[in-house]
Amino acid sequence: MAGLSINRVTKRFGETEVLKGVTLEISDAEFVSLVGPSGCGKSTLLRIIAGLEDPTGGEIAIGGETVTGTRAADRNLSMVFQSYALYPHLTVAENIAVPLRMRSLSSSQRLPLIGPFLPGASEKRAEIASAVQNAAEMLEIEALLDRKPGQLSGGQRQRVALGRALVRSPVAFLLDEPLSNLDAKLRVQTRAEIAQLHRRLNATFVYVTHDQVEAMTMSDRIAVMMDGEILQCDTPSIIYEDPSDIRVAEFIGSPKINILPIELREGTLSLFERAIGHASRGAQPGIYQLGLRPEAVHLATSDPFLTGTVAHVENLGAEVFAQVDLAGQTTRVTCRTAPAARDQLRLGAEVGLRFDLADALIFDAKGTRQRTVEVSLNQPVEAA
Amino acid sequence: MAVIDNSALPRKPSEVNRQARTAWGLATPALALMFLILLVPVVVAGILSFTNYSLGNTGFDWVGFKNYDRLFTRSTYEKMFIATFTYVVVVVPVSVGLGLGAALLVNSLGRIGDVYKTIYFLPVMATLLAMAIVWEFMLHPTIGVINQTFEMTCGTVLEVIPFLANGCADGFPLWLGDKDYAIWVLCFIGIWQGFGFNMVLYLAGLTAVHRELYHAAEMDGAKSGWERFRLVTWPALGPTTVFVVTISCIRAFQVFDTVEAFWPQGGGPNKSTYVMMFAIFEKGVQQNLIGIGSAITMLFLIFVMFLTLIQRWLVERKVHY
Repeated sequence: MAGLSINRVTKRFGETEVLKGVTLEISDAEFVSLVGPSGCGKSTLLRIIAGLEDPTGGEIAIGGETVTGTRAADRNLSMVFQSYALYPHLTVAENIAVPLRMRSLSSSQRLPLIGPFLPGASEKRAEIASAVQNAAEMLEIEALLDRKPGQLSGGQRQRVALGRALVRSPVAFLLDEPLSNLDAKLRVQTRAEIAQLHRRLNATFVYVTHDQVEAMTMSDRIAVMMDGEILQCDTPSIIYEDPSDIRVAEFIGSPKINILPIELREGTLSLFERAIGHASRGAQPGIYQLGLRPEAVHLATSDPFLTGTVAHVENLGAEVFAQVDLAGQTTRVTCRTAPAARDQLRLGAEVGLRFDLADALIFDAKGTRQRTVEVSLNQPVEAA
Repeated sequence: MAVIDNSALPRKPSEVNRQARTAWGLATPALALMFLILLVPVVVAGILSFTNYSLGNTGFDWVGFKNYDRLFTRSTYEKMFIATFTYVVVVVPVSVGLGLGAALLVNSLGRIGDVYKTIYFLPVMATLLAMAIVWEFMLHPTIGVINQTFEMTCGTVLEVIPFLANGCADGFPLWLGDKDYAIWVLCFIGIWQGFGFNMVLYLAGLTAVHRELYHAAEMDGAKSGWERFRLVTWPALGPTTVFVVTISCIRAFQVFDTVEAFWPQGGGPNKSTYVMMFAIFEKGVQQNLIGIGSAITMLFLIFVMFLTLIQRWLVERKVHY
């Protein structure tokens, strides 16, 4: 068990710069997810950690020791591949035993016919068999041990791949989108199991995914990657509630966060040329972007900030998401409502929307979070 | 909705019969052709192998197993079996091994690989008969380039090699005219000509090996190239290997054109290269002994059929996962 540290790692493939100086500290027994859209370099980073790919610059240290020049087989890491990469000609038990056979048996002890009879081989083979049995019990795949990978379902193969990774005690586990080939229901189940496995093994996990739900539900920390950079690395709740970049805010959260342009002039905040609030003193005037999570937007009973027609309704049972086409604008706003409001949300119905600026995230025109700009709503004029 | 799906109901018997008749009607021409041009000749050859028929004769006598009896008693046919099996046993493993080795090397190269691929495939594309004539020139005992090259080493330090020393003292081998060398020269040319084909088959097989498996092997601690080959490449090439070995065996059993080009009269010095195909040609065509020719043909068919059955068995049992 050990922590990992990634220090200013860069990677280029010819002209393309895939990683632009990534720095990340992962402490011992931590579960860190690398999440980002496809092509952001997250898999490349994982393969560089594994040693399957050499970085162009920067260094990787495992447990304080630099391993940049060390080959993958000597780094003592385990990896679960997206395609599972099981050896098709070996049974499940043999597949799980491969890492132990390769490491603890000498090359002559591994020979097919005479190997088992060489001195010391039988004890080692017995040790391997019991380790395989333990791993199989942990993953509840004892019944499959004699089958070949071709006879297994996707979920079962995934378990075998996990078994092969955890049968020895590596310093860290690297998982490259291990759930992406599973169906939705199995994915939810396996997600919980991997999180449990992490608690049980108390080992370092680095988990690559493009699915923000996986990242949110399993990780201690999430590193959001985009265009070869880590934009933010924080706990799931901070990433969701307090993103420091508009791209992070847009990537994390489903449905996507609503972004509305706002203008700040002379302390007055206006949305689509309508004054809705004011900013604290010292805020630079200019164009800002207002980020509103769907749960921050609600149907207005009176004096709406935004009006529009209902374009699409998604009823998830416990909650309802409505997409509203704003009147006179091209923007569409998603709002979350309670199922009770379903009757108001007929397609094409006119609705008014309000929100509380305390729930809003303010970004500047470039997308950087402006934490110092404090805004508040104009007090509604009480009817005298 | 309670709609009964009509297609789920059993069809009327007359309709089933009509469909079956149409199906047979459509398949009949193909079946007839298959019987006529593929199966009937085999059956005819089988029948003729029990007779003393010669082409042009109006009739023939049944001779029972006499033709087969000859095959297993006469020394000529013993030489035929020795030559054929020597050729198969040498050419198949060596050309498969070289094909695999060349494929692995070519596969590990980038663009230069294509150049090697073309070079190794050249002998396959060339006509073996034309190539055989070139080999005949090169192997000529006195004016051939091979023996002349060896002669150039006489009197140099290279004479420490026993082969060259003996050659300089007593003359170099006659190659195609020497009964100890003829079959090995034939084998060499067979390998030279055939391994490029095996290489191409292996290259096709290698494209099916999953790249990620090599990464998995590396993560699992397979450090040497040999370990990765044992763990990933060789098992993945199983189906290809079975196919390559079978094809090579059949091709080796069928060797004929080199023998015919080198020794048109009688299968090499002391019949040392009297392979089955040449025997069939000599008996059945040149000497018009259809009966014995057919008997050798039947034996040949049995060998090839046996190989094919082994291949089927291996493919179904062992190499598909």
